[in-house]
Amino acid sequence: MTPDLFDAARSRIERTGFDPDTQTRIALFLSAAKSSNATFLGCAQLLPVGDLVMQFLQAQQFRELEFVTLLARVARWSPNPLLYAASGPIVAPLWAHWWAAAPGLPAAAITAGAEQLYAGLAFGHALLAHVRLTPVIPAKTDPLDAFAVALARIEQENGRMLQTQIRLLKEACAEMPAEQREAIVEEKSKLVEAAFARFLGWLAEA
Amino acid sequence: MTTANIGKHEINYSVQGDAGAPLITFVNGLTQSVGLWTAYSKHFAERGYRVLAYDMLGQGRSSKPVLSIVLEDQPRILAALLDHIGAERTFLAAISFGGIVAIDFALAYGERLDGLVLMSTFADLTPQLEFLGAALYEGLTQVGLPYLQSLLYPMNLSGAWIAANRERIPEMKRAGYIGNDLYALQNLMESFVKFTPRGPRLHEIECPTLILNGEYDFFTPRECHDLMRREICNSRLVLMQRAYHAFTLEMPALTMRQIEHFVASVRDGSWSGDQSVWVAAESADAEPCLYRALGDHMRAIPPYEVPANAAAGSAR
Repeated sequence: MTPDLFDAARSRIERTGFDPDTQTRIALFLSAAKSSNATFLGCAQLLPVGDLVMQFLQAQQFRELEFVTLLARVARWSPNPLLYAASGPIVAPLWAHWWAAAPGLPAAAITAGAEQLYAGLAFGHALLAHVRLTPVIPAKTDPLDAFAVALARIEQENGRMLQTQIRLLKEACAEMPAEQREAIVEEKSKLVEAAFARFLGWLAEA
Repeated sequence: MTTANIGKHEINYSVQGDAGAPLITFVNGLTQSVGLWTAYSKHFAERGYRVLAYDMLGQGRSSKPVLSIVLEDQPRILAALLDHIGAERTFLAAISFGGIVAIDFALAYGERLDGLVLMSTFADLTPQLEFLGAALYEGLTQVGLPYLQSLLYPMNLSGAWIAANRERIPEMKRAGYIGNDLYALQNLMESFVKFTPRGPRLHEIECPTLILNGEYDFFTPRECHDLMRREICNSRLVLMQRAYHAFTLEMPALTMRQIEHFVASVRDGSWSGDQSVWVAAESADAEPCLYRALGDHMRAIPPYEVPANAAAGSAR
């Protein structure tokens, strides 16, 4: 992710302020990221009870849902309906991932086999690693601004949650060749990076 | 900035100066990027050198493998990058984390080195360094990248520099945050899990080697640098006065002067790698730029006078 994408978004926010339109755009994208990851994590309910992996994934699902709730509460939502409509194509790649990876019930993603499980973990890794919003917060923003604080908290927690994906990507599905695992990780990483870059471009629009 | 495709990785690099000129290559510390050598590239290119700076695998705009980074791959990538730019030989200057890569490069590709500059680095993990590294790793993974950044500034830079740059630091941290990825830094740190001490092999390094150590570098203290001085026959240790760990950032003019003096002395044949210890002048344009160290160079306390009637106390 090149710095100019972040710089352009921050410059625009500095000009117009951390207004409801800006917060709505950020909250919509971030909520989609959290919800799409939580959808996969929800499938952990189908893993054997008490399984260690299940515990990590379930804990992360609750954290992701907590952040969606937090965003819903602290964002100053825009009354402009066109903004919500315009967000559709921006967040679509995140949800389209599911239709490609697990047609039908989302539960298929985790029960259908190692490759789907690994893809879900790789997708979660990409979301937690690449979707970073604190660099677009203007430097002069009130440090106690509820929305800015929420973004910082979410991002800090992303780093901690990411440890689950890191450990599982390194150690789970060992029966899959390393090249195959690397290819899946790279594909999901590019998918999320492209969606996030497009989002930053949308955020930078006046 | 340019990208070289090396194996399945993309390596981001910058090269300045004429293709036929003597090459100086800079290797980053853990959280650094190629941009931090911009002043060095300009300085040396203007003086007739060719300068290569690059992001290691896992850094900046180079590829950042998610599954793992193998420490031993780093010197191989550097060798391939030198091939890519058509350089057979180079002077190699490296700081901190990059110093291990430079040592490994010297052990594997010593015939390609005109000289080696090891700055604020180590060959063995002393217990202190091992514990510090573990704490930094814990901070990165359990608190986050901004926390690690916040910790590294006061660890690596002087209070005076922090005071003078207080307004710039948030923007510098933001740039570092955008340019680095937590998982990639974590992989770089985890590449030390199987670290084996390089000390026993340092005697194999034969090229002229300048070792630079900051006076107040508590991260990689004197003992780390003195080990390299003792084991590398063709070496000298230079102590940078009032310098902390990241003196390449805090004192670029002084650092460039020492590197330039070293490179020139190797090229004109006046270099003497006698494992001696020197103190760098405090001004970049001082002449000479080095003074021979007197007394116990392992101590931070200067020589002092003991009154004739002083009583010896019991051992600590």
